[in-house]
Amino acid sequence: MSAHNHAHDASSAHGHDAHGYGPHHVTSSKVFFNVLLTLLFLTIITVAASRVDFGAANLLIAMLIASVKASLVIAIFMHVKWDTAINKVFFLSSFLFLSLLMIFTLSDQATRGRANPINKMKAPVDWQFVQPKAQHTNH
Amino acid sequence: MTTHVPALDIHTSEHGSKPNYLNVTKGFKSWALTLDHKRIGLMYLIGVTAAFLAGGVFALLVRLHLWEPHGALFTNATYNQIFTLHGVFMVFIFVIPAIPGSLGNIVLPLMLGAKDVALPRLNLLSFYLWLTGTCFALYAILAGGFDTGWTFYAPYSLYTNQAVVSIGLGIFILGFSSIFTGLNFIVTTHKMRAPGLTWFRMPLFVWAIYATAILQVLATPVLGITVLLVALERIYNIGIFDPRLGGDPVLFEHFFWFYSHPAVYIMVLPAFGIVSELVTVHSRKPLFGYKLIAFSSLAIAVISFLVWGHHMFTSGQSTYAMFAFSFLTFFVAIPTAIKEFSWVATIWKGSIAMNAPMLYTLSFLIIFAIGGLTGVILGALNVDIHLHDTYFVVAHFHYVMMGSIALAFFAGLHHWWPKMFGLMYNEGLAKLACGIIFVGFNATFIPQFIMGSRGMPRRYATYVEDFEMYHKASTLGAIVLGSGVALMVGYLVHSLLAGKKAMQNQWGGVTLDWLSPTPPPLENFDTPPVVTHEVYDYSVLDLKTLQTPVR
Amino acid sequence: MSHDHGHSVVVPAPGPGFLPHTVAHHFDTPTQEFQSAKLGFWLFLATEILLFGGMFAAYFFFHQAYPETFHQGGKQLSWELGAINTTVLLLSSWTMAMGVRCAQTSQKNKLLVYCGLTVLGAVIFMVIKTIEYMAKYEHGFLPVFGGMGYDEATGQLAWYKDYHGVMEGVPFGNLFFSIYFTMTAIHGLHVIIGAGLILWIMKGAAKGRFHAHYYLPVDLVGLYWHLVDLIWIFLFPLLYLVP
Repeated sequence: MSAHNHAHDASSAHGHDAHGYGPHHVTSSKVFFNVLLTLLFLTIITVAASRVDFGAANLLIAMLIASVKASLVIAIFMHVKWDTAINKVFFLSSFLFLSLLMIFTLSDQATRGRANPINKMKAPVDWQFVQPKAQHTNH
Repeated sequence: MTTHVPALDIHTSEHGSKPNYLNVTKGFKSWALTLDHKRIGLMYLIGVTAAFLAGGVFALLVRLHLWEPHGALFTNATYNQIFTLHGVFMVFIFVIPAIPGSLGNIVLPLMLGAKDVALPRLNLLSFYLWLTGTCFALYAILAGGFDTGWTFYAPYSLYTNQAVVSIGLGIFILGFSSIFTGLNFIVTTHKMRAPGLTWFRMPLFVWAIYATAILQVLATPVLGITVLLVALERIYNIGIFDPRLGGDPVLFEHFFWFYSHPAVYIMVLPAFGIVSELVTVHSRKPLFGYKLIAFSSLAIAVISFLVWGHHMFTSGQSTYAMFAFSFLTFFVAIPTAIKEFSWVATIWKGSIAMNAPMLYTLSFLIIFAIGGLTGVILGALNVDIHLHDTYFVVAHFHYVMMGSIALAFFAGLHHWWPKMFGLMYNEGLAKLACGIIFVGFNATFIPQFIMGSRGMPRRYATYVEDFEMYHKASTLGAIVLGSGVALMVGYLVHSLLAGKKAMQNQWGGVTLDWLSPTPPPLENFDTPPVVTHEVYDYSVLDLKTLQTPVR
Repeated sequence: MSHDHGHSVVVPAPGPGFLPHTVAHHFDTPTQEFQSAKLGFWLFLATEILLFGGMFAAYFFFHQAYPETFHQGGKQLSWELGAINTTVLLLSSWTMAMGVRCAQTSQKNKLLVYCGLTVLGAVIFMVIKTIEYMAKYEHGFLPVFGGMGYDEATGQLAWYKDYHGVMEGVPFGNLFFSIYFTMTAIHGLHVIIGAGLILWIMKGAAKGRFHAHYYLPVDLVGLYWHLVDLIWIFLFPLLYLVP
């Protein structure tokens, strides 16, 4: 808590520069360029992985690679690695709360109809009956 | 390395007294374009009060209509629109912005010893977004009204032939107003505290507003995307919520309640903050369980994200999900009860001043106990299947929203009124109004508990004659309640015209808001305050003059 | 605000060609101003994550309900164009990061060049996106431009035509395209807003407003632009390479 005792204690006394204009972390161009190359490489991996059939794991693999890419962008390009703890906490907590929305919503749908015979339909509606019909006119 | 530029001089007011935020500048533009948190707070106060009165008129119309079993006033379709308007005005335009927007804006920077909120322009933008959203709602009324209820449940909201898109966009804009207010308060609390004001020296009102702000920032965007999808659904039939097109209305309910359950705490947490503040000041006794109350606010904020499915027990979601949601719901009762007990323990053996703010606070404590406990009853899965969508639910959430939140808002208004205007209202009338509101409120909603438990469904324009007695009692109660509110508005306005001058520290508070001059000057403090004592340490108070020595 | 009680702190320019910065009156130090704005902006970005998150939740919800539809729908999109757009956005994210770096090191001209390149990336992205949308329109898969309404009697959805019958045999092909369209359209809106903000940064940069002592707006707009990139990183595999 002591770091946040009051607003004035921040980095003016022990900051990164003598002026007290705020914490500057200047990342080297080389680091940025390496991150760019890694991101482009991971994009190729994403496409390549989607060509191979891993079954249900495909979605997981795609999301995993995307998460690695996202982490790189967040940590390096967005400077989160060097940012204050409170900024990290608030930004990253948005992913936590988003995962709550997804976990409950998706698990609701995945378990529908298992315990209650009234609600047998796993999909929201039985599409055979209400499927909107396409026109099939040649354009 | 830094240099200083002299700023413009400010002119003293013509009366020769020290200029305060009310008279430092004059003219329409000085208010419309103000960046001062107190002026923005006052504009919010006027706005939300107008919304509350409008919502109250709609409520009275609903109750008058239900005087007769077949409906006394309107056609069924008009009745649907009126109760929808009551819900939308009260929830989105009044309760959610009320306490943070008005009292939070005025008091929070004072309590922190700051010159202003951290982002004053965003603060003004937030107010104008509120105004724009409200205008959309008014436009929607002119464009034919809307009859979906405040929840906009799909698929009805997709099919009904009314102005749902306008009000949907209005809610989207109101949502961003709420987000920006919350965002501003989080930054202000983190970055604008006076030297020496550590986290555990912050008044509990600040803790409560801070917890609220987290909810506003993290929950409201989901409402935004939900109403946006409903609008797209209505215009282009994208099909996400439309079962005819493969969509799922239950998904709408998930999205809606992911916001709207935390929104219940967006509404009630600031009320908790006001009550925490008032019980200690008017009992002149340090708060019992300060840290417990502070952390229980944060606990409520987090738990509130885990329980939204208890609004959907009859909607066709998975039975397993219902088990989980019902189980998790009970956890909300723990931090909430911690608060209630701590408040009562604070009053216990305190030096209680039975003035108007304290009477409103005591009314809150009684009413909230009922509102909270009936919530536990409704959280039980099997009981809720029976009580779902009955007047029992209506009475429960009115005990929380009207009886607790609005009463806490009134309590805070009476508490900080002398601070805001430097003028006092008539105490005798204030106590009388509080009594009338308390009696009227309970007379309105106790009959609703009874008829709800006997199966009277909510939102119906007509009812079977067995319920006539309860509905008549409820309507009479509503009239009493309405006259109490009218009396309150009357003496508060009167105090602005002919009120006695208030003392600098009217109630003997020891938080920084009472250290600033009354009414506060433009940048709140004559000299930047430094906090050296613990929060609610009444030993620093000079009991004769009620002044805290200036440090 | 012109009614200051005391004095406003002024941050001097680091050299000729740059302008000093006056700290807002209610802040005591430039650091306090910087950190407040930064925290506020991170909170705003958190709201953006949750706003898009609602749509991602809808995506996974319907992907779980109708996996074949999403598989079939993904095949209708050109993964090549998607990959090119991914590359463009990653490159523009890099140029933006370099732009912020140039602001931090008071390199005015390089800041302008990197910002210009980023805007160029945004333009290329939107051009490719438009080409893709037009292709979808030809197939009868595009809401908004495809018309409105749903005919209860015939079960005809005005915008969902499927002229070539490519979505035949899978349930509710309209859902994939409405989710594709909604997500990419809102993302595209962010691209346009981001490009506008970068142009605004360039205007200030040309005057010399941004330098090592004050680069806050460049930093914040940079964060916004990276968020746009971040969302696309997830959209690309989910929409174009649906497993």
